[in-house]
Amino acid sequence: MPEAVIKLEDVWKIHKLGKVDLVALKDINLEIDEGAFVTIMGPSGSGKSTLLNMIGCLDFPTKGKVILKDKNIANLTEDQLSQLRGRIIGFVFQEFNLLPNLTALENVMLPMVFQKTPVEKREKKAKELLEAVGLKERITHLPTELSGGERQRVAIARAFANDPELVIADEPTGNLDSITGKKIMEILTDFHKREGKTIVVVSHDPQIASYSKDVINIKDGQILANHQQGAKVLWSK
Amino acid sequence: MEQIKEYFNIAFRNIRTRSLRSWLTILGIVIGVFLIISLLSLSEGIKETITKQLKSLGGEMIFVMPGSEANPIMMMMGGDQLQRDDVSAIKKTKGVDKVLTMSYTGSVARYKDEGKTIFIAGQPWKESLELLQDYQGWSLAEGRWPISGKNEVIVGQQVANEVFNQKVRVDTEILIKGRKFQVVGILNSLGSKTDDTFVYMDMDIYQDITGQKPGSAQIAMVKIEEGASLNQVAEDLKNNLEKTRKRRAGTDEADFSVITSEKISGIAESMLAVIEIAIIAFASIAIIVGGIGIMNTMFTSVRERTREIGIMKAIGAPNSAILFIFLFEAGIIGFTGGLGGTLLGVLLAKSIEMYGQVHPLFYFYASVSPGLIIFGLVFSFVVGCLSGMVPARQAALLKPVEALRKYE
Repeated sequence: MPEAVIKLEDVWKIHKLGKVDLVALKDINLEIDEGAFVTIMGPSGSGKSTLLNMIGCLDFPTKGKVILKDKNIANLTEDQLSQLRGRIIGFVFQEFNLLPNLTALENVMLPMVFQKTPVEKREKKAKELLEAVGLKERITHLPTELSGGERQRVAIARAFANDPELVIADEPTGNLDSITGKKIMEILTDFHKREGKTIVVVSHDPQIASYSKDVINIKDGQILANHQQGAKVLWSK
Repeated sequence: MEQIKEYFNIAFRNIRTRSLRSWLTILGIVIGVFLIISLLSLSEGIKETITKQLKSLGGEMIFVMPGSEANPIMMMMGGDQLQRDDVSAIKKTKGVDKVLTMSYTGSVARYKDEGKTIFIAGQPWKESLELLQDYQGWSLAEGRWPISGKNEVIVGQQVANEVFNQKVRVDTEILIKGRKFQVVGILNSLGSKTDDTFVYMDMDIYQDITGQKPGSAQIAMVKIEEGASLNQVAEDLKNNLEKTRKRRAGTDEADFSVITSEKISGIAESMLAVIEIAIIAFASIAIIVGGIGIMNTMFTSVRERTREIGIMKAIGAPNSAILFIFLFEAGIIGFTGGLGGTLLGVLLAKSIEMYGQVHPLFYFYASVSPGLIIFGLVFSFVVGCLSGMVPARQAALLKPVEALRKYE
């Protein structure tokens, strides 16, 4: 029985907009096991970004528990949570979100700086990762000197810098053309297959969902159908 | 420690990428530090020059000058004069050993068809030569001392070598106020540029050519008898002078000052202290304005980079990392401003000093101590960090999810 990397128990997220309460997540129960490749799907406004923030431990639930590696995140200080998140979770964003003033290499090294990895080790690891995503020749370039696809590859290398157990990708191909997007998904699946990393992808694109075994469909803050346990994808390719 | 280095590196990169805004902010600090360094080094230089000059006067002297003590500027300018009976009252006072009277004024002197403004001073050679040599450190570089009652002068080093295009030599003639004088001696430097820009002549002749009343003087220097108390003699002098003055003028006001050499240094020091306080106060205002500039830049920077802060937090940055990065940015801006300001300030002070050394009537010395430079640099760095404190805290306390959502 694989262990859960992250567990959401009766999670509610309610945003207060003036006097109106907006329920973004409604009583979510979810477990993501080690080694899984999960796609969260849903139309915009469905609460999938909020769910992603919960899984990524970027936000606290209004009600319920988020348990990251057996630790209830509500019991951690902000710095402890940052430290744990940096070590266990890697992020790939739609907008790439690289630091514009740092080179590709420095961007990949940054998560390791926060984990106090020695400088030689972080440089070696960062170079390996950039080579793995095919950017060996571009390590000294600034993000502005790279194409969208290249930037996203740097972002993927950064996400894997601390050897995280879980990598969360929020619409990783949303800003890319279909060919580049396909390459990005191949790199992600490659990491999943080769190193057994747990991957959670958020998308509204059924094409993306086809890469994963497990699909979570969310609408109005609730999980409609949980196709974990290896069920087939419902969408046509 | 390693982390700190990385944060510093990131901060440095961030400053470089928004260079125009950074430079403008730095300029604000440059101006403030520039003011502090240049003005303080000059006023410190003036202080050192005055202290040096006062030391050369000798410790046990009393000076009698017309004008009230309460108004030191007027006293130094010395429009009023000590009359003949004032001088004799001084001489008669108990405990007074020797009295040296002196008068001085600015005048044009012609030497070999070249006219220049110098100072001329008169003192009775007969009575004062010994005193000048023993207590004022006068000595001749060339020639001999003048003879009382003759049209003979001795000149200071500046007059001899710098003031005129041609060097003034012994046994040549110099024309002052229409009268020809024989230059009989050249003095060794008296330690201050002003004193070296004098032509010294006999008191009677000085009074003759300037029209000053015979027997009067602008200033009297009193050497006291051995064993007499400086303050007691000064007190007696004051009483005696008050009597003669009251008799003459019929008023109650004693418009002269009796001051000991100690007191002169005290007055000069307190005047300079006031000037220094004023300098520091004004320059501090300039630096505070610069600091507000840094704060403004940093707040803008936090707003602009909210998303970056969110990313860094998402990938594991603790609050302290964000705090350090923004504090370093503010500190670097402050420090760079301090460096520029210090350099410019030292440059200005030194060029004023250089000008003063070329120009004979304008003696200036800039004291640029290592302490002042370190002060300039540390002070600006601290101002930078303090100004960055609030914006950096604001950045550090941002919630990652909110920071990421902003400006999407």
